[in-house]
Amino acid sequence: MKLIDPHIHCVSRTTDDYQFMARCGVVAVSEPAFWAGFDRSSASAFADYFRQLTDVEPKRAARYGIDHYCWLCINAKEAENVSLSREVIQLIPPLLDHPRVLGIGEIGLNKNTRNEITIFEEQVDLAARTNQLILIHTPHLEDKHKGTSIIVDILKNDRRISPGRVLIDHCEEHTIRLAKEAGFWCGLTIYPVTKVTPQRGVDILEAFGTEMICVNSASDWGDSHPAMLVDTALEFGRRGHSATEIEKVFYNNPCEFFGQSAKWKLKAENAS
Amino acid sequence: MRSGKDTLEATYLEMRQRALSLAADMDRLERAAGGLDLLNDDPGIAKLKKALAVVTDGKSGRAARVQMIFSDVTPPPSRSKRSESSRSS
Repeated sequence: MKLIDPHIHCVSRTTDDYQFMARCGVVAVSEPAFWAGFDRSSASAFADYFRQLTDVEPKRAARYGIDHYCWLCINAKEAENVSLSREVIQLIPPLLDHPRVLGIGEIGLNKNTRNEITIFEEQVDLAARTNQLILIHTPHLEDKHKGTSIIVDILKNDRRISPGRVLIDHCEEHTIRLAKEAGFWCGLTIYPVTKVTPQRGVDILEAFGTEMICVNSASDWGDSHPAMLVDTALEFGRRGHSATEIEKVFYNNPCEFFGQSAKWKLKAENAS
Repeated sequence: MRSGKDTLEATYLEMRQRALSLAADMDRLERAAGGLDLLNDDPGIAKLKKALAVVTDGKSGRAARVQMIFSDVTPPPSRSKRSESSRSS
């Protein structure tokens, strides 16, 4: 079983995690820029972070046979600081041609504030002007439904944005319809406690179908693990779904979404 | 997809464990200093009680409806003029 983890924060993970993923059949990952668990003090800290994402992690992953790609942005939490965010956004355009950068992400909202919305719109504008794929972070817990609604409204109202080039991540039972009915790709993040469990993830796949949905572990510095991706694939199989269906969700779908960037090299299996 | 009978057999012990776990959580809270007041008055506990009612109300879409009990349903912040103009470009 070949797998892709379409959303994982390798900078927060150990070499044991890379080894574990490789043993489980993970052949590629994509790593969005995110909040590292602390607010950074200057734009230069982000310049270093972007170098880590574009140059350091691909080399570290390659040692385990894993193809590593990334996304660049100022994340929603630190976007509350508008002046810092604008400095960080200026760092991004020169890096967009880097062979490991798939697009702008994970942009979105955290507490659904006006400042966050302003910076979100500025990064959507950057993506539109530079024809980049977009990876969206939706808020946590009680803020998720409201934030997802705001994000979907903004994207739908920008005529430059093609929904098929946007993946709205961390969808759950009460938000996936908002994203899916507007034609966006959807991401399911499988966490032990605070997002979707493997069982609920498969429930959502069964309820909403397997088109334009990717499953990820979003493993980071918190309570999360790369095994969540594998556990979900195994639960999907245990419920009687075929190897072809597993391959579609956990390998071909990420290839299809990411493959809209010429930089993504893996091809979907048995694709016509 | 598995039959209902097979699904229940595969998950019943986990469902039982989750019900027991929540019951024990409530007992632990009740035993703690000030816990009984929280069981009666805390807004988070009130949401849990609403959620439990949804679980057993016999209507479909339970997970999505429980999610909405724990969701902020206030209106979004008003938008700046700049934001409005950038959206329409």
